[in-house]
Amino acid sequence: MTAQTETSADAPVYWDPYRPDLGNDPYPTFRRLREEAPLYHNPEYGFYALSRFADIEEHFANWEIFSSSRSDILEFIQAEELEVPPGMFIWQDPPQHTAYRAVVARVFTPKRMNALEAQIRAYCARCLDPLVGTDRFDFISDLGAQLPGGVIGMLLGIPDEDRDAVRERVEGALRTEEGKPMELDQAAYVGEGFEDYIDWRVNNPSDDLMTELLNVEFKDDTGTLRKLTRDEILIFVNVLAGAGNETTSRLIGWFGKVLGDHPDQRRAIAANPALVNPAIEEILRFEPPGPSVARYVMKDVEVHGQVVPAGSVMLFLLASANRDSARFPDGDTFNIHREGPPHITFGRGIHSCLGAALARVEGRVALDEVLKRFPDWTVDTANAKLSSSSTTRGWDTLPSFIG
Amino acid sequence: MAKITYIGFDGEENVLDVENGRSVMQGAVSEGLRGIIGDCAGSCSCATCHVYVDPAWFDKLAEPSEMEAILLEEVCDPQPTSRLSCQITVSDALDGLVVRMPEKQV
Repeated sequence: MTAQTETSADAPVYWDPYRPDLGNDPYPTFRRLREEAPLYHNPEYGFYALSRFADIEEHFANWEIFSSSRSDILEFIQAEELEVPPGMFIWQDPPQHTAYRAVVARVFTPKRMNALEAQIRAYCARCLDPLVGTDRFDFISDLGAQLPGGVIGMLLGIPDEDRDAVRERVEGALRTEEGKPMELDQAAYVGEGFEDYIDWRVNNPSDDLMTELLNVEFKDDTGTLRKLTRDEILIFVNVLAGAGNETTSRLIGWFGKVLGDHPDQRRAIAANPALVNPAIEEILRFEPPGPSVARYVMKDVEVHGQVVPAGSVMLFLLASANRDSARFPDGDTFNIHREGPPHITFGRGIHSCLGAALARVEGRVALDEVLKRFPDWTVDTANAKLSSSSTTRGWDTLPSFIG
Repeated sequence: MAKITYIGFDGEENVLDVENGRSVMQGAVSEGLRGIIGDCAGSCSCATCHVYVDPAWFDKLAEPSEMEAILLEEVCDPQPTSRLSCQITVSDALDGLVVRMPEKQV
């Protein structure tokens, strides 16, 4: 098959998450999937996909059929030899998942995230102030690549001088090469790097999340009241750092791109900071940093009159659901004044994004601080670079003219 | 079935018929009401469906679970009648329930 036959209007609709030409603008394909193949099957990579909002809302949270126990990433689910370590709660189902999720939900809450706002603002100022008076600003290298790692560092109480090292290590971990599936060794969330810090924090307690994780008592899935082990804490910290870094960087890139493309709406936000919050929600709907999430099918399930057999992989195309005009009128139009139901970017159900509150605070504060300094910008499209994988989609670099 | 009155932070009132067995959160989200998010779809972990229950109704609700009680200390602007609306299951006994939305969920 060639790209032309696969994507032309006469041929049956084709989609996979690896092809750069589809990843650059997946939305016309998503629209065709919703209209022509609401249950899509890709024989080449062996997955099914759901693209309509109503279908995703109905099935995504049903963990008894659509399981996370073999991870949430297409390539890893299909790898025979994947081993999920205990405590890797994002890749577990109840009952193991329940106790761990509750522990993290207790310490990763809206209030705690909002309490970071002043620190996040100061961090943004440190990134942005040196650029005032210049004529160029890169949403990724100058801000998006720095802020999320810095915030994870704040949250965990990692000393400033160690934060860059942590960020660099996390950044490399979940990247894919363009056009290629991920390698299984990238599943190693149990990476090194935080051990020394955990051990140091045992003897130097503070008011950070790491100290809280060291002290929290919980009932595990056997009903025993206990503290987390060092290995469990290590996995938690790696998950939080891994999940909160690239995605938030992508959110910052997307507000740069989308508001660059919609200067009238950008000016409206700059003139009225009350619009920052709805603008971030609309950007999350319009360009979700994680466009698709995979699940392992535990038992045969009928969808749109067809049986999806146990053992299959189902991709939930959240980015497509967010554009579904049956749920979001005129879904392909970006409109910060949109009213109505929330997007599904953070997922639904027991595995919905624990960092949603943090991502929202970071997105709001970053956008506000950028607009205060640079109310107008034009993206340097010729030098911007987009990449997409089976897990994330966004800008690796997004230089802009601000002069 | 119960009639539930949702009052937005701006004072806008919506009265919805919610089926027994569904949660107060689901009733709002399925109608697309702003002010309740409910990311975790009722699994009591995201704390984005916070409401203030009308004092006349507060004592008629089942006690919050341990997890809900923990999360209620972590929502934005908690008050004595705060509850997570995903943990309030609708029944005939709640016909007429009034809940108010907080200024923000996150």
